[in-house]
Amino acid sequence: MSAAAIKPKIRVRDLTVSYAATLIQRGVSFDVKEGSIFAVMGASGSGKSMILRAMTGLLRPTAGSVCYGDLDYWTSSDTQREQIGRDFGVLFQGGALWSSMSAAENVALPLQMFTKLAVPSIDALVQVKLSLVGLQSGRDDMPSHLSGGMRQRVGLARALALDPQILFLDEPSAGLDPTSARRFDDLIRDIRDGFGATIVMVSHELPSLFDICDDGVFLDAGKRTAIAHGAPRELRDHSSDPAVLAFMTRAIPIAPTPAPPGDAHGPR
Amino acid sequence: MRRFGADIYVANLIGVAEVREMAPIMTAIVMSGRTGSAYAAQIATMQGTEELDALQVIGIPVDDYLILPRVTALSIMMPLLNLYAAALGIFGGFCVAISMLNLSAAVFVTQMQDAVTIPEVLFGIVKSFAFGAWVAISSCRIGLRAGRSTNDVGHAATTASVHGIVGVIMIDAIFAGCANALGI
Repeated sequence: MSAAAIKPKIRVRDLTVSYAATLIQRGVSFDVKEGSIFAVMGASGSGKSMILRAMTGLLRPTAGSVCYGDLDYWTSSDTQREQIGRDFGVLFQGGALWSSMSAAENVALPLQMFTKLAVPSIDALVQVKLSLVGLQSGRDDMPSHLSGGMRQRVGLARALALDPQILFLDEPSAGLDPTSARRFDDLIRDIRDGFGATIVMVSHELPSLFDICDDGVFLDAGKRTAIAHGAPRELRDHSSDPAVLAFMTRAIPIAPTPAPPGDAHGPR
Repeated sequence: MRRFGADIYVANLIGVAEVREMAPIMTAIVMSGRTGSAYAAQIATMQGTEELDALQVIGIPVDDYLILPRVTALSIMMPLLNLYAAALGIFGGFCVAISMLNLSAAVFVTQMQDAVTIPEVLFGIVKSFAFGAWVAISSCRIGLRAGRSTNDVGHAATTASVHGIVGVIMIDAIFAGCANALGI
């Protein structure tokens, strides 16, 4: 079978998202290939997280479709949506751990709710998931006692609890020191390689984007739409769009030099 | 009461007032300020930290998992707290009556037994149940509708407290109207 004939895991078409009456992004389209790590890139405030929310069922888009296989999430029945959602794992920015539960209880809750496993089996699975994300200690600690990196890891373990086929990560390495961020990137790649999961990641952390992402879409805050598609490295090396280049090379866009006082002709 | 030579009816007054009105209303107001605002603040905080989104995306119904247990807990606890408050109120009245009004303990208890009947107690309990359900439902609803900033958490807590107290007074008025119409 040729590569072109392989159906994408996720198809996003003409997606338009708004917050209250404010248009955030319009006409965003992209495909996410199975087993890839896909980046949703863009500057702060460009609507990356809103696109992710529309993909995970948390925000109804104003227009457009998000298809998983042959099913459009937003036109499916509640039962179908529940079925599609069972394949998701979501890591929110900062972990979003349930603050009244310990780390282990956070990971155990999805297993308690959606499996018929006995308590000892759930405990064993929780231990496996926490070890998988490299959390050897602190399983009984409350989220408020965990460091940012540990919270992210517990959040990832929780997202992996039900063995999802698709993982959505919202700014996974935001707020982490460079070493922890690098370790977290390695972990994401290991999860993709080990489980064959498809990963959609929202980020503006350039080292992470260049390091682990195979494909992506770049959202522009000014034009309020996607202006480039491709792997972050390719966009950095080959894009001719000034906004994309400025983002990828951390260049500060050159603003026109203000005219000196008394100079009616402006800069030369 | 002494001026009218009706000292002895102090026991009746204390009993009926505590069981039917004072205990249910005071308990509900305290619980609205304490537990209602706490419910709203907790849920609003969960909104801001994306904990509710995490529940929703996993497919755990927020209503079943967060709201129903809180409503059930407060609806059950409010009548029990009402009984506790009524007992304490009556005991306070008893102490005042025998120490300051020269009533004997036996007379106070006899008068109290005549005044406070089972229907009176049940009326207070039913009212407390309604107050508990109202405070819990309105507080949780306010928490769920809160915004995502820290400022919204404080606002939700204050709003829940005010809505709870105003609602309790309105429900009490409805109960009073019904009781009057039914002759209870």
